[in-house]
Amino acid sequence: MRVICAIGQRGGSELVNRLAWIVGDKAECLLLHVIDTGPRHDLEDYLRGSLHRRPDHGEPPHGAAIKAAEETAGRAAIEEAMAATQQAGLNAESSVKEGKPEEIIVQVAKDVRAELIVIWTGEGAAGHPHIGPAPLGHTARFVIDHASCDVLLLRGPV
Amino acid sequence: MLNLHVIAGTLIFLVTLVVIMVRPSGVSEAVAAAGGAVLMLLGGYVRPGEAASLLLTSWNIYGFFLGMMAISALADQAGIFDMLAHWAGEWARGSGVRLYLAVFVVGMVITAFLSNDATALILTPVVYALVTRLRLPVMPFLFACTFIADTASFVLPVSNPINILFLDAFGGGLSTFLRYLLLPSLFCIGLNIAVFVWLFRCDIRTRYTPSDLPEVELPNRQFFNFTAATLALIAVAYLVGTATQFPLSFVALGGSGLLFAGAVRYRCLDTAKFGREISWSLFVFITGLFIIVRAVENLGLTAAFGRGLLQLAGDSPLQAVLITAGGTALGANLINNVPMALVMISVLGTIHANSLNRALIYASIFGADLGPNLTTVGSLATMLWLFILRRKGLEVSTQEYFKLGVTVVPVMIVIGSLLIWLNL
Repeated sequence: MRVICAIGQRGGSELVNRLAWIVGDKAECLLLHVIDTGPRHDLEDYLRGSLHRRPDHGEPPHGAAIKAAEETAGRAAIEEAMAATQQAGLNAESSVKEGKPEEIIVQVAKDVRAELIVIWTGEGAAGHPHIGPAPLGHTARFVIDHASCDVLLLRGPV
Repeated sequence: MLNLHVIAGTLIFLVTLVVIMVRPSGVSEAVAAAGGAVLMLLGGYVRPGEAASLLLTSWNIYGFFLGMMAISALADQAGIFDMLAHWAGEWARGSGVRLYLAVFVVGMVITAFLSNDATALILTPVVYALVTRLRLPVMPFLFACTFIADTASFVLPVSNPINILFLDAFGGGLSTFLRYLLLPSLFCIGLNIAVFVWLFRCDIRTRYTPSDLPEVELPNRQFFNFTAATLALIAVAYLVGTATQFPLSFVALGGSGLLFAGAVRYRCLDTAKFGREISWSLFVFITGLFIIVRAVENLGLTAAFGRGLLQLAGDSPLQAVLITAGGTALGANLINNVPMALVMISVLGTIHANSLNRALIYASIFGADLGPNLTTVGSLATMLWLFILRRKGLEVSTQEYFKLGVTVVPVMIVIGSLLIWLNL
């Protein structure tokens, strides 16, 4: 069974453990971490638009540091999850991509003809002020709406 | 008689403000302000000699802006911001909540002494990189940086260049500033932190691995030490300067000159980067606005606005303070806080000087500094911050920002105004 594991910033090893518990060692995992840069396209559109263009402030300061931090954090997230797959005896490959996580997860699932996507319910919800019950993250929401295969939602720590 | 001259002048003023606000076809604020100023000069609303003397008497604000931006840029090149963020990470020892509080404290100190722009433009990306590396949710931290940049921008006169505009126009030293604005400042910062910690409690409760904290690679340890010592000196000089009403541009330019010399001495100066970090168009923007607002003043519009303000306030000083603070905050949101501050300075200059007038000056500072937190537009700092954020790839919708703003800003305005009124 070909499974896409949507590995966010945190909770990757827990996600793999839960998957192993549910489907056993039959799963062949693709651990997919997407560095969220999707809104950059919105930014470019926005800059081409008229409202807030700031021509004299070229590249943002510390851009290289931010990029390095994203890559290191992404690698760390994948390595944690990979260690968990080895412990659980699952076959796994890994991939780190950049873009809008929700779109890339759905696209990769299609490309590799995955039969299942596993994702935390809260994926994409972090950082937005919320009052009341924990909401479904926007990444999880999009994946449910657009995935061409089954989606396993895990309630948990993200 | 309301003649064509007055109508045309008013139109130029309003159209310039609208262009600054809407920026059709990507016209920058600087171009809009310069265009408006040229029209005002051509229309004879301001005589060229008058404009020249106005700009010459504003040397302190130009010098302060330049010095302030240079200090921030050089401090950044020395690694001061990276080190402060690193210390915050060390102090927090793996606790997201402690790191969140530490970011607020660092933001407050940087805003207080290096201005709101330093926090919004430089601390924000540094914190972004740190928090990303620690795999914590970035949004709460980014909101913390941008909000504290505005909320802490009336801790000291140097915390926001807008404050210097007011103090240049009306005088007033550190003790008067603190008398009116220290309590509102402490209250707003406290409320800001409390509300945000509560709103983002789920996200910041996360723990991080302290060993993930990246080591700071300083370009040159000696230059770092030199810069840290110079910044401490500049901070003291700012305090002494504001207390004795010594021109702050001398302190800012002197301090940046010292840092510049240090950067050359320790071979750490990246001139291209340094040049990019100074926003030259800001000077065009301010110059244009100075002339436009003087033109409006010559037409008697700001005096009429001042009379209207007093009439609206009636016999109640509290009402006057509330209207001034609230009105300035709203105006700062609608247009931008620099033109709003200049209009208020002109308006308050026409009101008879008494203790109420002084309270209204500080209520205006309060409104112009804090108001921009209400929405995405309004403050230079906030606009630049959003720009960086979008460059980074995070879309903060106006709605989301507004939701956060309306959670705290109105309460801050009302309670802050009460505290200013108590000093009357």
